[in-house]
Amino acid sequence: MQTVFSIAVDALAYGMVLFVISIGLSVTMGLMRVVNLAHGAFAMIGGYIASYAARDLGLGYAVAVLLAVVGTVLIAIPVERFLYRRIYGAPELTQVLMTIGITFCIIGIANFAFGPTLKTIPLPEALRGSVDLGFRSIATHRLFAIVCGLVVAAALWVLIERTAFGIKLRAAVDNAAMAAALGVRTEIIYAVSFAVAIGLAAFGGVVGAELLPVEPYYALRYMVTFLVVVSVGGAGSIPGALMACLLLGAIDTTGRYLAPEYGEFFFYLAVIVIVILFPRGLAGRFK
Amino acid sequence: MAVTMHDPMTADKTRRRTITGSLIGIAAIIIVGVIGYFLFPNNLALLTRIIAIALLVLSIDLVTGYCGVATLGHAALFGAGAYAAGIAAAHYGITDPVLMTLIGALAGALAGLVSGLIILRAHGLPQLVLSIAVIHLFHEAANKASSWTGGSDGLSGIAPDALLGLFEFDLWGRTAYVYGLFLLVVVVILLQVLVRSPFGMLARGVREDPLRISAMGASVKSVLIRMYVISGVVAGIGGALNAISTQVVGLDSLSFTLSAEALVMLVLGGTGSLYGALVGTVTFLWFEDVVSAANPFHWLTMVGALLIAVVLFAPKGLYGTAAHLLGRIGGERR
Amino acid sequence: MKKLVTATIAAVIFSSAAYADTIKVGVVGPFSGPFALQGKNFKAGIDAFFALNGNTVGDDTIEVIYRDVPQADPAQSKALAQELVVKEGVQYLAGFYFTPDAMAATPILEQGNVPMVVMNAATSAIVTKSPYVVRTSFTTWQTSTPIAKVAKDAGVTKVISLVSDYGPGVDAENAFKAAFEKVGGQVVEAIRMPLSTNDFSPIMQRVKDSGAEGVFAFLPSGPTTLGFVKAFNENGLKDGGIKLFAPGDLTQESDLPALGDAALGVQTTFHYAVSHDSPENKSFVEAAQKAIGNPAELSFPSVGAFDGMYVISKMIEATGGEQDAAKAVEAVKGLSWTSPRGPVTIDPESRHITQNIYLREVAKADDGTYYNKEIQTFENQGDPGLAAAK
Repeated sequence: MQTVFSIAVDALAYGMVLFVISIGLSVTMGLMRVVNLAHGAFAMIGGYIASYAARDLGLGYAVAVLLAVVGTVLIAIPVERFLYRRIYGAPELTQVLMTIGITFCIIGIANFAFGPTLKTIPLPEALRGSVDLGFRSIATHRLFAIVCGLVVAAALWVLIERTAFGIKLRAAVDNAAMAAALGVRTEIIYAVSFAVAIGLAAFGGVVGAELLPVEPYYALRYMVTFLVVVSVGGAGSIPGALMACLLLGAIDTTGRYLAPEYGEFFFYLAVIVIVILFPRGLAGRFK
Repeated sequence: MAVTMHDPMTADKTRRRTITGSLIGIAAIIIVGVIGYFLFPNNLALLTRIIAIALLVLSIDLVTGYCGVATLGHAALFGAGAYAAGIAAAHYGITDPVLMTLIGALAGALAGLVSGLIILRAHGLPQLVLSIAVIHLFHEAANKASSWTGGSDGLSGIAPDALLGLFEFDLWGRTAYVYGLFLLVVVVILLQVLVRSPFGMLARGVREDPLRISAMGASVKSVLIRMYVISGVVAGIGGALNAISTQVVGLDSLSFTLSAEALVMLVLGGTGSLYGALVGTVTFLWFEDVVSAANPFHWLTMVGALLIAVVLFAPKGLYGTAAHLLGRIGGERR
Repeated sequence: MKKLVTATIAAVIFSSAAYADTIKVGVVGPFSGPFALQGKNFKAGIDAFFALNGNTVGDDTIEVIYRDVPQADPAQSKALAQELVVKEGVQYLAGFYFTPDAMAATPILEQGNVPMVVMNAATSAIVTKSPYVVRTSFTTWQTSTPIAKVAKDAGVTKVISLVSDYGPGVDAENAFKAAFEKVGGQVVEAIRMPLSTNDFSPIMQRVKDSGAEGVFAFLPSGPTTLGFVKAFNENGLKDGGIKLFAPGDLTQESDLPALGDAALGVQTTFHYAVSHDSPENKSFVEAAQKAIGNPAELSFPSVGAFDGMYVISKMIEATGGEQDAAKAVEAVKGLSWTSPRGPVTIDPESRHITQNIYLREVAKADDGTYYNKEIQTFENQGDPGLAAAK
């Protein structure tokens, strides 16, 4: 029984880390309909900025997180303006080509600028060490990631479903021409959502860095995982993404506990079954 | 090619033009191939590799370009062909290259059937995810069956006989290259026939409007599955060629990376036309070879820049955009 | 085009006659992509060799041509090796980080009359694939065997083995099991983890449930080692008194700054630590750190490359710059010298390097950096893997 609880806690922690990193991708893919394979690259940039701020400049963790989010968004603005704006509404494969190109460039630049070694983001004292849950201990930063995930999920849900901005965004997504005719400035709406998505990517990159360490190849290494999580949840759906992360986290963790040798089989077979059962994602907004 | 298809001309005239067009295309492949042979006599290993990958990219074009199926797992078909040909040679002593190629084609078809049955259960993004799952399962299976496949160490000990008992596979890679070029030309000719056949038209129809096709009484599913099997044959031949020419098969031939790269090559050249696939493959691999030899440490940035540039300046892919421009010039003259 | 013609002519000339001229060495390795760090170390080791010994042997000048294979890709490796031999006219092939890449290139050695000096790839069987293969790195069997004795000496009798599920991981598992059972220990469970594992918490739960007193671990150097070591600590295994034993891949120097305190006290056995105390190593590290730029990036593949270049220079010396693979390989059989890692010999029979294996413990230096501190030496270790395969 204790083991079951223990696995459940691991699964929850892993799933929430996945959620924090992937949710930004769910926004770009589901709401803006851009297959943004460069999502991991932006998460990586966030990680690098945080690492530089906290480790090399000695700034506090909170400052580093803030700098990472703001810095990554700033870097992303010209990228959005000159590159992404060209592919809104383009065929998916064209988007794939463009965003893979961007990813390659960012990897190359990161390798050149920061070198190929792993970069860590030093945690503050409060997040180091472990917390005793009674039946087992768990790393404090994992609890922190769980909390971050819940906060992000709630905030995003409110933003999209309950604010005026959310209404405009959904309108712009459903019918850009009609929304524009009604006075919604779609370009600005898109730019802001893109910034939010990138900010979330950077935030996730920093919070998840303990599990997925920052290095130049980060951008491609975890791309598939992010893509799978978002699609299983149904792109654009916050509750869907949350469910998918928890479900896949649970399957992955249990699989790795019960039969580590066949962990990959477990995971991908489960993905196939879920996608076939829920072809629009667990809570898909769109096809 | 792709352009004339959309031109509002009489069917008869279109047919005659496209036949002439494809004859020109095939002649172009042969000429480029022969020029490559004499111009780069020391680079035949690379050229053979390009041909093998080109077969994979052609195969993706059949399902993605002609039928609109999104896949990031097509290397499963290529790898199946490579491993089948390799295992036949290394474990069963079947070392005749033609026989190995046939075995590769068969295995590719089988892998195409299996992955087609899975991947075609969804559409759009979920379909992409299914294809990713499929390629990872294939990869893991090959890794697990290491007594057959050599696992991560790769399958070595493939020693193909002389082609037709006459031409040895030598260090310079001449035989492998000529054999590869021959296979490519045959495949392209057959595919030309295929995409213009009623079945090919049906496949295009499925991409444009599946609902209408099923309303016409044709089974969308069966068209797609058949196309998947055919594309498996093509990819399997590519895999077998790779196994024959390099005499080794590694897990990378069943990898997500190869699948993704091949898709990138296809989009780079332009989807929905056989020549787009060829142009994309040659451009990508040639460019990669040049920049990675010039700077083995930081070439990835250059490749990325190329991809971005193509999207910005040639949004229909290199061949697609060129054909479009040519078509416009031609159109004005008419 | 002109360059091409020159290259062709050069290739023809090189294969027939030997003039005092440029001798080309083709180095295949991962210079970009996820393993770029290791390729960078190849280059640092080679540059360090030139910095210390010059790039001439007799009248001949050595020129190195690099070719990139970012991830294990035997077909690409073979195509590049072939291109190096026929187009660039290299007399020696070297490098090879991954086993399949090295294996794939072996069939062309005899045909091309070219020896291959493996600077890293660590599967025992590579040297059996061609009589022209010489290896200056290590094998996983070689580095994983001595740790079994260390574990036994530490009073541990029940060990759980955790390895990455691919060739070298399986090698490590077998090597450790064989050696540990020989000294009377017991491997209670052997788990193979997929290479793509990010979260090791469930595996650590398995360790707890197994009742083992120690863990033997093999993971390829890189990002996953970080997650592994952290999970080991955070799940209370370290505090629970469970000991961690591993070959040195787990604590390669370039990963240590990231691992930080988490790795303190981890014991590993390996053939080379950057901290090795000897005059040879001091001058090597100085030159190699300068070559690599960032001193923190220097790690074990550099020494394999450095010694590889030494072997190649001896081959060139023996053949007088002439292309003669058989003579070249014959000349270095039994060759002994003092490498930065200590005394080494090329075993005449297997053509693999016989060397000391060191037990090291991760320690913190006075300046706050972490290093592998050598605490015990296992002298003159050959490769037990070849014997085991027989």
